[in-house]
Amino acid sequence: MKNPVDGFSAGLVDDSNIFEWSVTIIGPPDTLYDGGYFNAVMSFPSNYPNSPPTVRFTSDVWHPNVYPDGRVCISILHAPGDDPNGYELASERWTPVHTVESIVLSIISMLSSPNDESPANVEAAKEWRERRDDFKKKVSRCVRRSQEML
Amino acid sequence: MDFDDDMYDSYSDQDEEFMDTDVSVDDNNCDDDDDGDDDDDVDDSIESSTINPHKKNYTILSEDDLRGRQEEDITEVSNVLSISRVSASILLLRYNWNVVEVHQAWFADEEKVRSMLGIMEKPVLQNDQNSEELTLCGICLENYPRNTMIDVGCGHPFCCSCWNGYIGTAIKDGPGCLMLRCPQHKCRVAVGQDMINMLASEEDKVKYSYYFLRSYVEVNKKIKWCPSPGCIYAVEFEIGSGINDICCKCTHSFCWNCIEDVHSPVDCGTVAKWVFKNSDESENVTWILANSKACPKCNRPIQKNDGCMHMTCREPCRYEFCWLCLGKWINYDHKCNSFDKEKQEGEEKVKNMAKSLLDRYTHYYERWAANEKSRVKAMGDLQKMQDVTIDKLRSIQCQLQSELKFIADAWVQIIECRRVLKWTYAYGYYLPEHEHAKKQLFEYLQGEAESGLERLHQCAEKEIEVHLNAEAPSEEFNEFRIKLAGLTTVTRNYFENLVQALENGLADVDSLPASE
Repeated sequence: MKNPVDGFSAGLVDDSNIFEWSVTIIGPPDTLYDGGYFNAVMSFPSNYPNSPPTVRFTSDVWHPNVYPDGRVCISILHAPGDDPNGYELASERWTPVHTVESIVLSIISMLSSPNDESPANVEAAKEWRERRDDFKKKVSRCVRRSQEML
Repeated sequence: MDFDDDMYDSYSDQDEEFMDTDVSVDDNNCDDDDDGDDDDDVDDSIESSTINPHKKNYTILSEDDLRGRQEEDITEVSNVLSISRVSASILLLRYNWNVVEVHQAWFADEEKVRSMLGIMEKPVLQNDQNSEELTLCGICLENYPRNTMIDVGCGHPFCCSCWNGYIGTAIKDGPGCLMLRCPQHKCRVAVGQDMINMLASEEDKVKYSYYFLRSYVEVNKKIKWCPSPGCIYAVEFEIGSGINDICCKCTHSFCWNCIEDVHSPVDCGTVAKWVFKNSDESENVTWILANSKACPKCNRPIQKNDGCMHMTCREPCRYEFCWLCLGKWINYDHKCNSFDKEKQEGEEKVKNMAKSLLDRYTHYYERWAANEKSRVKAMGDLQKMQDVTIDKLRSIQCQLQSELKFIADAWVQIIECRRVLKWTYAYGYYLPEHEHAKKQLFEYLQGEAESGLERLHQCAEKEIEVHLNAEAPSEEFNEFRIKLAGLTTVTRNYFENLVQALENGLADVDSLPASE
């Protein structure tokens, strides 16, 4: 990568397939996720960069914008045509000028400020809004578990 | 009458041919009709003898008509707002092809509309635009000479190959490509048809242009596509003009309101229930009916190939029976349109059936489906008659073309009556059992209409054969003319009564005491 991003490292899942990347995102400082090492797989479609990659956490991540199966739901990973929920402005969607760098920056910013308008994990969003203490507890359990996996 | 399979096959071939040609029954009408509005000949000819003639309240639009209208709208917006045709198209796409709305929005706040839709007032000034200086393409991250790269006037250049991929992906994703923007993050400048034509592959351009055309129909409440598979016409309808029956140039007839096949005088709700029920139960019923029946006398399997319900088994059996009830066909007053529970229960075949509810449904479904089949067959027959039979008759019987018009009139009447009769079976199925008086009136009118139609269909289909095989003009041909024309009129009257009664909800019996 030309401009390495702090708190992020990447490699191929399998050396023969350049479309599957294994990445580790370090929880950004001064957030609930501080200190966590979260593993994820980034899968690129064959027509990348015309279509966006998908990102799926393989570590447990309790977060309003991460589906229970680990898939990350942020607007720039959605193609302009498909907006299943109708919440996002077209300008925030994927365009081919986006890069791995801009995706990682978006994920890091997602970790520091969840968007509970269009939650991927409804339970997590509700907890984040209504029972912040319970939410914090669950997140710090995720952080601890991610450190133990190292 | 025979039951050979090859006859059956030839019948479906005719159907296909039929779909490709206009039905023009009325020659005079065709000759007069040179005002360019050539969609009239189908409708007028059919309406000349339909049961409920009405003023035409719709227009059939071809692809050229639609594109012409789009062009007109684009010209208007482009002239009034003094903007390019491409910008005018983008505005019209966004405001659902409503010229008035475009003007209102634009004159209320031009700045806001421009920034929302990405319509620039003038391109960003770039000194390097024509230079050969190497510039980075933000998509493939390769360097290209600046003068080979393209931007939408916003100053974000990309290489042609990346543009092609970007546009191609958007077009493959669907009609969203009509609102395409510059790929630069947060740049909202619109990518219009001029860019598509410059940068997309031929195949993609065709697709884009198709989406563009479709957008005009899909946002317009007064225009719908003809639902017939493969049909390229759209229909513009005068909303609130009452009658919903549409006959497309492709010969497909449909209801404006529910898009089902034309079903007047039966209402859309009944039709929807019936169609849903058919999709639910048709597996059972089609299995039971399975296209073939055994001759009630000799048990030889029979597949029906002619339009009318009067069947005659093959030599040596020659048993005559009704295809629907399998009862002996004694004379043309044969009636089996009402559901006779007791009689049916006495019969052997009914004993094998599982539920009487299914029996009841089967009774109506079978008659509904048989009339549809018969209608389709009659459409093929009408076409064949116009292509072949009329010429033959003209030379054998020394008749003028106009003197043979009564035959086409009879067939047009048969087609329309089969359609109405078909839907009256859906109506009958949902007519409440306890409304005795209504049921009686309905079944009486339906029975009269049906037996009239059977006589007419039989006459048009069978009795014509003698005259086709004659060697010289015959007296009898005149008798045939009088009979067929008479049957056409009589049948029309029967159906008019039936349609009228259904349209006013069989209200005539409301004032009478129910006869038990």
